[in-house]
Amino acid sequence: MLDNEVIKRLLSAIAFTNDQAAYKELFVLLHGRLKQFAYSILKSQEEAEELVSDLFIKVWQKRDQLTTIESPLLYFYTTAKNLAYNRLNKQKRQQNLQPEEWLVHLNSIYFDPEQLMMTEEMMRQIRQAVNSLPPRCRIIFKLVKEDGLKYKEVAELLQLSVKTIEAQMAIALRRLGKCMHLEINHLPTNNFNTKKS
Amino acid sequence: MSQEKFWVLFSKKLSGEASVEELGSLEKLISEHPEWQYAIQNLEDLWKHQPAKDYVQGEDAYMLHLHRMTELNVPFGENLEAEALVIEKKSGFSKWYWAAAAIITLVGLFAFSDFFSAGSKRNKIAQQVNEVSTRPGSKSKIQLPDGSVVWLNAGSTLTYTKDFGKEIREVTLTGEGFFDVTKNVEKPFIINTTSISIKVLGTAFNVKAYPEDKQTEASLIRGSIEVTIKSRPNDKIILSPSEKLVVENEVPKAEIRDRRTGNIERTQLPVINTLMSVNKLKYSPVDSTVAETQWVNNKLVFRDESFSELVVRMERWYDVDIEITDANIAEERLNGIFETETIIQALEALKEFIPFKYEKTGNKIIIHR
Repeated sequence: MLDNEVIKRLLSAIAFTNDQAAYKELFVLLHGRLKQFAYSILKSQEEAEELVSDLFIKVWQKRDQLTTIESPLLYFYTTAKNLAYNRLNKQKRQQNLQPEEWLVHLNSIYFDPEQLMMTEEMMRQIRQAVNSLPPRCRIIFKLVKEDGLKYKEVAELLQLSVKTIEAQMAIALRRLGKCMHLEINHLPTNNFNTKKS
Repeated sequence: MSQEKFWVLFSKKLSGEASVEELGSLEKLISEHPEWQYAIQNLEDLWKHQPAKDYVQGEDAYMLHLHRMTELNVPFGENLEAEALVIEKKSGFSKWYWAAAAIITLVGLFAFSDFFSAGSKRNKIAQQVNEVSTRPGSKSKIQLPDGSVVWLNAGSTLTYTKDFGKEIREVTLTGEGFFDVTKNVEKPFIINTTSISIKVLGTAFNVKAYPEDKQTEASLIRGSIEVTIKSRPNDKIILSPSEKLVVENEVPKAEIRDRRTGNIERTQLPVINTLMSVNKLKYSPVDSTVAETQWVNNKLVFRDESFSELVVRMERWYDVDIEITDANIAEERLNGIFETETIIQALEALKEFIPFKYEKTGNKIIIHR
C-alpha cells in the first residue's frame, strides 16, 4: 500500500498552492473508508458523513501544518476517532465505548468467485468465517486489509501492542485457511529458524 | 515451530510487514509442503482482491461537503480569493500576488540543423528543449510530464528536453526550485545545477542554486536524495529527511559584486577543496515549518541571516537593485518574515533593528549609515 505516499503528495499540493483539485482527490480517496470507520463508532450514517466533512474542514484550515506528518493515514484515522468520541461525549452516550463494541462492517465478504477461481461452497464458508471473526479481530483485520494501515499504526490507533495485532491477524488468517482446508498442525522445528529482527 | 508462528508470519507477509529473513524462512517452509500450495495461493488472491471502490459516492459526498463549508463560512475557493484580493488592495501589492505574478515564458527551442537531417526521430525530439523562466518578483508552478511538480522561485530557470521521462528524467536548474518528485524507481530524476547534481527516486526537497550566490543548497523534506558535487565526482552524499547540504560555490571573479559590501576580496577556491557541510533543517517550534521552503507559501523567511545575504534575496523577491555601502551594516544578522509587505514597508521594518538610512530612485536602493 502506498497510500501514505499518495496522501503526502496531495497534502503538499494543498498546503503549498491551495490546490483545490488535490483537495478533492484526497476527499474522494478517503471518504468511503473514513465514513465507514466513523460509522462503526457513531452508528449513524448521517453523523458519520458530517464527521468526515468536519475532518476535511480541519484539513483545509490546518493545511500548512500537515505536510510534515510521518503517517498521514494514521492522522486521519486518529482524528476521526477523536471527533467521533467527542460527539459521543457531547451527546452523553456510550462514553466508554470500547473498540470491541464498534460496529465494524467488512467489505471483504463481497467478491467475485469466478475472478478468484474458487467454488461457491468455499466462498460461502469464507464469508461465514469473516463474518464470525471475534470483535477485536474484526476491527484489526479491517484496518490492516481494507484500510491499508500498518501494524504499528493500528496498534497506536487502538492503544494495543504490536504483538496483539500480530496475534489477531494470525487468528483471522488461520480461520480463512481452514475454509480452504489448510491445517497446519505440527511442524518440525529444525525447518524453521526465524531470526528476530 | 508452532502453527501460531506460521500464521503470524504468513499474515505479516500478506500485510507487507515481514522482514526479509522472515520471508525467506516462510518461503522455504512452504516449498517443503507442496500440498499447501493451492490454499496458500487462494489466500493470497483473496487478500489482494479489493472490492471495487465507489468513487461516485465520494464525489457526491464532496459536493455536500463543499456546500457545508459555504454554510459554515469556511474560507475556500472564491472566499479565499476574495480574502487575497483585500490584502492586495490594502498593500497596493497586486504585482506580487503569486498566481497573478507568475510570468511564464515557455520557449520551445528547436534544433533546426537536425530537422532536415537523417537523424533518428528520437534524437530530433531529444533536442527540443522546454525552458520555463520566472522574472525577479514572480514565481511559478510547473507540472512535468511524469506528474512531478516544481515550484520555481523568482529569477530562476528550469529546462528539460522534450523526451523527458522517456528513458530518464533529467532537468537543469538555475536559481531556486522546490521539487515534489513522483516515485519511479526505474527512472531516476536528475537535477543538474552549476556545482552539484542531484539524483532522486521520489521525494520532496528544495534546491537553491543562483549563480551569483556564494553557496548552493539542497534541503530535503522527505524521502532521500543522492548529491554529487561536480568538482568532487567520486563523493556521493546521501541526504536523509530534514537535512540540508550547503556547497560553497566557486564564484568567478567577474561575478563578485563588491558594491554590496564594499571591500570584499575573495580568492577563488581550488577545485579540489570545494567546501561543503550537511546540517539539520530547523523546524519552527511555532508551526513546524522550515524556512527553506516558505517561499512556496509566498513568504520570505530569514533566520539568522546576514543583512547582505538577505538583500540578495530581497532583490529577487521585489525585483529591485539594492546596495549597502557600509560593511558593518552588511554584517548585521537578522530574523523575520516578509509576506505582504511592500519593499518600502520591508525596509522600514528593518530600520527598527538596524540603524540605517536609504534612498530609493526607481528600482535602485542605496543603504547607508
